[in-house]
Amino acid sequence: MKVTIGLEIHVQMSEAGSKLFCNCKADYRGLNVNTNVCPVCLGLPGALPVVSRRSVELALATSLALKCEIPKFIVFTRKHYFYPDLPKNYQISMIERAGGVPICRNGVISFLDPSRWEWKSCRIRRVNIEEDPGRTVYEEGGITGSPYALVDYNRSGVPLLEIVTEPDIETPRDARLLVEYLLLTLEYLGVTNPRLEGVFRVDANVSLDGGERVEVKNIGSIADVEKALNYEILRQSKIREAGGVIERETRHWDPVRGVTRPLRHKEYEEEYLYFPDPDLPPIAITEEMVKGALKIAVEADLQALLSELLKHNIPPEHAWSIVSTKPALDLFKKVVSLGGDPQVVARMLAVDYKGELREQGKDPYDPSNWPPPDTILELSKLTLTGVYPYDTIKGLIIPNLVSNPLARLETLIPEKAGDLDLVVEEVLREEVKAVKDYLEGKTQALNYLVGRVIKKIGRKAVDPRIIRGLLEKRIKAGAPRT
Amino acid sequence: MDFREGIEDPVEHVFNVFEAIRRWEARVNAYISLESPDLIVEEVERIARGINAGEKVGKLAGLLVSVKDNICTSFLPTTAGSRMLDPYIPPYDATVVKRLLEEDAIVVGKANLDEFAMGSTTELSAFGPTRNPWDLERVPGGSSGGSAASLAYGGSDLSLGSDTGGSARLPAAYTATVGLKPTYGLVSRYGLIPYGNSLEQISPMARSVRDVALLLDVIGGWDPLDATSLRVDKPRTFTTSKADPSKVTVCVVKELSEGAEDVIERAYWRILKKLESEGVELREEKLPVASKALPAYYTIAFAEAASNLARYDGVFYPTKGGGSTWEEEVELARMKGFGREVKKRILMGVYALSEGYRDEYYIAATKVRRVVRDEVSRISRSCIIASQVSPILPPRLGERLDDPLKLYAMDVYTVIANLAGAPALVQPIEFYNGLPIGIQWIGKPLGEGELVSLGLLVEELTGLAGVVAG
Repeated sequence: MKVTIGLEIHVQMSEAGSKLFCNCKADYRGLNVNTNVCPVCLGLPGALPVVSRRSVELALATSLALKCEIPKFIVFTRKHYFYPDLPKNYQISMIERAGGVPICRNGVISFLDPSRWEWKSCRIRRVNIEEDPGRTVYEEGGITGSPYALVDYNRSGVPLLEIVTEPDIETPRDARLLVEYLLLTLEYLGVTNPRLEGVFRVDANVSLDGGERVEVKNIGSIADVEKALNYEILRQSKIREAGGVIERETRHWDPVRGVTRPLRHKEYEEEYLYFPDPDLPPIAITEEMVKGALKIAVEADLQALLSELLKHNIPPEHAWSIVSTKPALDLFKKVVSLGGDPQVVARMLAVDYKGELREQGKDPYDPSNWPPPDTILELSKLTLTGVYPYDTIKGLIIPNLVSNPLARLETLIPEKAGDLDLVVEEVLREEVKAVKDYLEGKTQALNYLVGRVIKKIGRKAVDPRIIRGLLEKRIKAGAPRT
Repeated sequence: MDFREGIEDPVEHVFNVFEAIRRWEARVNAYISLESPDLIVEEVERIARGINAGEKVGKLAGLLVSVKDNICTSFLPTTAGSRMLDPYIPPYDATVVKRLLEEDAIVVGKANLDEFAMGSTTELSAFGPTRNPWDLERVPGGSSGGSAASLAYGGSDLSLGSDTGGSARLPAAYTATVGLKPTYGLVSRYGLIPYGNSLEQISPMARSVRDVALLLDVIGGWDPLDATSLRVDKPRTFTTSKADPSKVTVCVVKELSEGAEDVIERAYWRILKKLESEGVELREEKLPVASKALPAYYTIAFAEAASNLARYDGVFYPTKGGGSTWEEEVELARMKGFGREVKKRILMGVYALSEGYRDEYYIAATKVRRVVRDEVSRISRSCIIASQVSPILPPRLGERLDDPLKLYAMDVYTVIANLAGAPALVQPIEFYNGLPIGIQWIGKPLGEGELVSLGLLVEELTGLAGVVAG
């Protein structure tokens, strides 16, 4: 059974600084309701939109990253529908058939399946810049039962990218991987922070074996992209198996119950009265603008970033782990530029540090959870000079570093082996019987000796395996000096 | 503006204007709201002290300006002549209002208009019609009828109107005042409650060409808050001198000179002949697309209006529907808040933009606009176009309202400049049975200076500068 999936991805340009047409903030999170507003984003009579240059620059960088045809100019259009959270009762977008000109047409996204290390691609139909509406909050009973609705306009006018793919995707998994890869690219572009609540929504069109397509709206997380599509494909295939016919419809993803539901049937054709917004003259996309945007896009070429890492013979899974966590890549680059060994640093960051972050429930995307480059550089040097085996660093230093990334290295490093030697000698002198037992084959005697050493050195962090190694080496070398 | 030359005391001047308002306003209804006289007196006394102390004061110091009530003021209600916005006080000032205040002007009140500037007579205001001070049985033209009437009876020195298809120029012609529709983008629209965004400009109005130029200089020039505003310096037309007739060419465009009542056509030719005898060169031109201009204009204006007026849904603005659901609320609020003409225009605009009709109406209209723009700019490169303003003398109240097509036809000569984005000046040339007749000059984009220059010459020939009714 052939599955055909196309996606429509709305992403807030949360990092654009300002809203699309005014100076209110693009990231409204944490602000008191209806405080991030002005006459423009409230659509008050006479207030006029002026396009934020930064939004256009970031959208243009996105188009370049998606290898789109770049238009000579862009044109905004109005899309009319009455809704309480849409203060003008029209949304400013870039609908093509009404004279709008989007920032991107005919692009392509190559995305990675990291576990199979396989590159796939999907054509991009277009990318629009548009404004987000406000947010409607319903009381208990939801949209149908609530006696009233409250609207917060803090979000009204936040710049959105609407990214529409061609129906080139064949599995829910690929759909999920595409969205993940796209969001990561947008993060590198400085367009968005994919981890902010409600920062993106995905609508997916899916059809089976050339049947009618069903649109599933309101998918709000990366994992749900796959879940919602799996559910929808199962639902459709059951209908078909029972001899039913799939009708073209729009369904809503319910993330709590994990099902798609039909939306209320519309009794009339939608009529959006599209036309070019007379308040916004076409904006020319100049060569200079393209040059500026290209500089941004180059930094966000994930494929290039990955091959840069692979050049150092870093295992692909480490490379992907680093690239998929931007603070890790930033750190990696700094440490390597300071002379850190790429492979060691990659392993340390991609596997052990990141793993420990997860272990301790810390956010790997928060740069402040990562140590300064000098710390990692020193650690990698210690590893290479053999002063400490890698396991020591992994088992003892990294957990402490994760708890306190700004800790000075000296406070984290266990006693040097040289100092340990003295303690080991002392214990061997004192515990003649245990040594004898061990030499006679009672291996558990060694555990006792290790315990003695640890007790003597007090609370200092030492990997017991190191002590065990030292003891074995010493005992094999002959009787303790007396 | 006599006191600026030291003839009249600014405080005395204010009281003279108050006196005119007291005598006329109840009959004319030029204003929807008036500023408190105490505040005005306080302000003018402050300015007078400044003048007396030899301090530097603004270019409009002590002048009383009426502001059309579709231009936002944070200190007076702004209703756009609609019940929908009664009473709405915007939280901000329009850019033009800011510029007025920066030059020490005093806003005397908010002038009446057809609801949302949709009309040509100022009869379609939710606050009652404005009457023409020259003949109280007649309309002052519209939609900036309140602005024009306040000037005509001496209830203001200057006025800000707005002109979407002739809304400042038609009233100017009907009240023997002067109105200038600037080049599209010369004056910021920030704070102008929109009717037809792509066509309209806030327009200076006054009783003389010089005063209009003064006001234009203050309000014009680039505004970063309006993306359609042109990146040009502030205009400098006030210091323009009267045109040298031998250096002026006026084009008589057939389509813009014919079709008016006889008395109007005769007045039009009399002033042109007079100019010719002064040395002005007259040339004939043709504008065949003119016959399509009126339907194109109305199609575009209605489409934009339908869109602009979508926001009035009972949520933010004073008129509530009292519905029990959101849908019902929107319906009822719009039913109660909008007048008949506004509803009609919204419906026609929706029709023009609808799927399946958009190409036939809206898109077709924008193509006509392009032809008009090209043709007008071709002609205006080498001459100033002479045009009628209105095909008829000011009609009696109620006379035009019954027949919408006749009402719309009043704009046949004025919409050209809006479609072309070109500047156009209207000034009085004659009176016929006590009723004013005006003429319209259409210039090239940013050719305001030339229009002012010609206007000054015409004023000298007619002697019709600063006339006041009564």
